[in-house]
Amino acid sequence: MSLKSELHTHVASLRRYALVLTRDTVAADDLVQETLVKAIAKADTFQPGTDLRPWLFRILHNTHISDLRRAKTRADAAADLPEPIARECQHTQLELKQVLGALDQLPEAQRVPIILIALREMSYAEAARSLDVPLGTFMSRLARGREALRRIVQGVASGKLKLMQRKEGGA
Amino acid sequence: MTTANNSDPTLDIDLMAYVDGTLPPEKMAEVEARLARDAEARDAVAHWRHFDNLIHDAARAADTQPANLRIEALERQLAQKLQRRRWRAMLLGPGLRQIAASVVLFAAGWGAHALYDRGPSLTGAAYPGFVGQTLAGHYAYTHAAHQRAEFGAEDMDEALVWLSDQMQQRIDSPALERLGYQAESARLIMVDETPVAVFYYRNPEGEQVTVSITPRGAAEPDYTLRAVRVQDDRLAYWSSDRLHYTVVASGTNATITTLAAAVQR
Repeated sequence: MSLKSELHTHVASLRRYALVLTRDTVAADDLVQETLVKAIAKADTFQPGTDLRPWLFRILHNTHISDLRRAKTRADAAADLPEPIARECQHTQLELKQVLGALDQLPEAQRVPIILIALREMSYAEAARSLDVPLGTFMSRLARGREALRRIVQGVASGKLKLMQRKEGGA
Repeated sequence: MTTANNSDPTLDIDLMAYVDGTLPPEKMAEVEARLARDAEARDAVAHWRHFDNLIHDAARAADTQPANLRIEALERQLAQKLQRRRWRAMLLGPGLRQIAASVVLFAAGWGAHALYDRGPSLTGAAYPGFVGQTLAGHYAYTHAAHQRAEFGAEDMDEALVWLSDQMQQRIDSPALERLGYQAESARLIMVDETPVAVFYYRNPEGEQVTVSITPRGAAEPDYTLRAVRVQDDRLAYWSSDRLHYTVVASGTNATITTLAAAVQR
């Protein structure tokens, strides 16, 4: 694969990652643009022969973290994503909102590994390099994050069920 | 079930690998047996996979977004910078000695160069010294010390007259316009007192082509057209009666051959 096609593939991946991070298509593209501008400025630090994808994802991740710290954009962002192309039923949309809402409750260190692996474009080792953390740390954060996500979602579902039961019982 | 806080974290890793499809086959039976007897583990795996699918599909929504011209432009710009970075690393890395030796030996005479060419080459394909000079010309942007003169696209006619005078031979335009490329500039660089005329072209997609022309000494061999790959780029080189030519471009063998044929015409 030529460098141009390789880069094109990675930029498409960056847009996907940015979309899940920002929940907004305009903000996602802004983040990707900012990432590419920084990558251009840092191109001389890239080591030819090493993997380009973790390098780009690391820049995007750091840019996103800086943005969050600077403007707390995630707190202001709407929790809506564009319609997923494969699952368009309302139920799935609700589930997606629920999962994204639960993701927001996780610490950044646990949230990001879950998203990176869900993209299915990187191995654990590549994803760990993207975040500049040791593989063991990455795996630990992923495990804890996934389990915490499950607990939160199940807690939410259980809370809704109890609420419905109370309403039915009171009716 | 085994969780991250469990005393056997290895199995958590195995469960995650199972969900992510990276579990080694030799561990598959062990994990499936565990899932068969552990309802909590089954529930965790099902949820993790489900969340993963939801996030994956949400991310895929980015693929349906319209193209972003600013991103595309930045992508092209980054590709060019990384390409230059690769070239520079190649020139300054293990290949530097060969390139430098190639240029020096070119000046020293083709017989010595022929001896040099028997050594290991940069990419597995040996090539003559004027190719090394072209690589230097390809990076004239960043190695301005080599540069003696530069002409813009609007001064190409003047450039050809001046370059012909400097080379003491007629230098014709590479005329890649017929393939949709536009001349961007022409330069004269000196490498060990050898003049090299370098022409830079670019097409509407931003793809750059570098053509170099340098005098061929009377004792130097006559090279028939040859194309070689260097990293992601291709080189084509050949000789005429009095000149050596080199073309550098990205793309396939067919691309470089077409470009070379256009220059030869």
